[in-house]
Amino acid sequence: MLLLEYHNLLIQTLLTERFNSTTPTSIDQIISDFDGVTFHVSTPESKTKILVSISVKCFSDLVKYGANDVLRREYGPYVVEPEVGYDFSIVLDLENLPATQEEKDELIRKVALLRRNAMAAPFERAIDTHHSLSTEAAKFTAESAPETSNSEVMAIHYREEEAMYIQASHDRVTVVFSTVFREETDRIFGKVFLSEFVDARRRAIQNAPQVLYRNDPPLEIRNVPGVKTDESGDLGYITFVLFPRHLTRQRREESISHIQTFRDYFHYHIKAAKAYMHSRMRRRVADFLKVLNRAQPEQEEKEKKTVTGRTFTRAT
Amino acid sequence: MSQSLRPYLKCVRSSLTAAISLSNFASQTAERHNAPEIEAGRTPEVILNPLVIARNENEKVLIETSINSIRVSIKIKQADEIEHILVHKFMRFLTQRAENFFILRRKPVKGYDISFLITNFHTEAMLKHKLVDFIIHFMEEVDKEISEMKLFLNARARFVAEAFLTPVSSFHGAAVLSWG
Amino acid sequence: MSPTLTANYRLIDIDALDADAQFPPELLNPPCPPVGISEIQGLAGQCRQLLQRGDQEGALKVALENVPYGGDEAGKDLHLQTILEILSSIRSSEMANTLSRLSSLPNGTELLDVLTKYIYKGMKDASSGAGSGGKMSVLLSWHEKVVDIAGEGSIVRCMTDRRTV
Repeated sequence: MLLLEYHNLLIQTLLTERFNSTTPTSIDQIISDFDGVTFHVSTPESKTKILVSISVKCFSDLVKYGANDVLRREYGPYVVEPEVGYDFSIVLDLENLPATQEEKDELIRKVALLRRNAMAAPFERAIDTHHSLSTEAAKFTAESAPETSNSEVMAIHYREEEAMYIQASHDRVTVVFSTVFREETDRIFGKVFLSEFVDARRRAIQNAPQVLYRNDPPLEIRNVPGVKTDESGDLGYITFVLFPRHLTRQRREESISHIQTFRDYFHYHIKAAKAYMHSRMRRRVADFLKVLNRAQPEQEEKEKKTVTGRTFTRAT
Repeated sequence: MSQSLRPYLKCVRSSLTAAISLSNFASQTAERHNAPEIEAGRTPEVILNPLVIARNENEKVLIETSINSIRVSIKIKQADEIEHILVHKFMRFLTQRAENFFILRRKPVKGYDISFLITNFHTEAMLKHKLVDFIIHFMEEVDKEISEMKLFLNARARFVAEAFLTPVSSFHGAAVLSWG
Repeated sequence: MSPTLTANYRLIDIDALDADAQFPPELLNPPCPPVGISEIQGLAGQCRQLLQRGDQEGALKVALENVPYGGDEAGKDLHLQTILEILSSIRSSEMANTLSRLSSLPNGTELLDVLTKYIYKGMKDASSGAGSGGKMSVLLSWHEKVVDIAGEGSIVRCMTDRRTV
């Protein structure tokens, strides 16, 4: 598995099993996802009504950028009052499911993408802003285009110390991730990975979004409150520049999903590289031990005989 | 093996062969103790002149000899940050398994990455020339291992980055990627 | 509580307070006549003259015969520089011949032992400074040749000799 999937596998499996079984059972399960997102799947009223709730750390940020509208659009008929302690809830009634299997699968997929859709709101808004700005800018010639055609920067503090900043302008959408490396090894491995991200476009994939990496906040977000500058080098900023070709109507859903997984994908591969190093070192150590043990002279097992001719071994 | 590595290892080999001639020696300062004198350091007359063998300022070996013990410290080549962290991790991994390695010192001497402590008890139980072989083998392999790990890390990073950016960049990405 | 009780008394080195347990450094290091820096400078000049005349072997012999054991650090470093200069002026194809001629002299063994000392000292000094890879490979190949001719005994004598260079 190289790329991460966008949906939550546990929710998908759970719902598929429930939808296809004839005997409803009661569920009460808490499911964790990336970035401190928690789901609660339960059947509080009756066994046929499954309540799925989601709690997102940065929900207040997301609401500011229109998360409620996006969620209502996606889950319209299923939305209910949020469960206590959670930010958003939907109810699926097993006795009132869509008729065909395809529609059922489609519903399951949609629910499993709950986290993705909640996080998608600011991206959608940015892309919409970009489109309106670009139609605006198309009225001007290249020389007379207004300089300040940038929208406000949307900040989403999706983790304790890390945040995502999105800014739309007439010719691009810029997404900045701030990352913190707690450990020296992670920091250096991360640097290696990031420099490859930066180089990938130059080397192989010309159509890729531009990726930039730096230790101090990039210009776009320097004025955003709460952006820290850090001298120790633990903090890093990764900028993705999405060009209009990534933002077309056919591509936008895919682009949004994909860029959301960046942080998890990135950290997942750092961990994977570390795990590989570890197993490699283990193998190498075993090899060293073998060489060292060659230094031990072999204990020769001589057969010893008593006077009467019986053999014996000496107890050590 | 590169050209300049051969005389370096040869020099280490002959120096070690000369230095490892150890005999049992009970402590003169504490009764009924028999500690490695090079570690105790309380009896200057049984400690010999230390030797340094260097290939360059980043790769050297320090051999400290005493009557009943010898301490061999190795500084491993670290060209950049990545190699530094890989060496550090690898050496930590090794020293945590010092129990199995008999001659491995649990903490490197200051300024070096890893130290071995060979006492007369080791040379009595093990073959001296094979011990020397081990240290030489270690020095050869560590360099190789570190550069292989670094190459691997870079290759992996490149592959990962391209894999992530390819679906975003292709115009028909949605068709390529399954939704699961 | 008095300050002596708060200190970890187990770590107090009581032998340091016992006059009988002292080990005077003069016992460890044999007395060597002191050598002034001017003398070593003179020696360096003499060697350089021999080098200019193309007599590398003679220069090496002079440098190895007059070792400033009693000199101070600056003097010893100066002599090391002289020897390093001579060593790097000898071509690698000439190393083995030079050494075998030196070792066939009546005091040949001692000369090679002194050379071994300087090779190790050279590596020790240069390894703390930067940009010395080239010098190291010269020293390493000299070391290889010396051991070929004088054997590992010269390394042992270099470790055990308290007269350091």
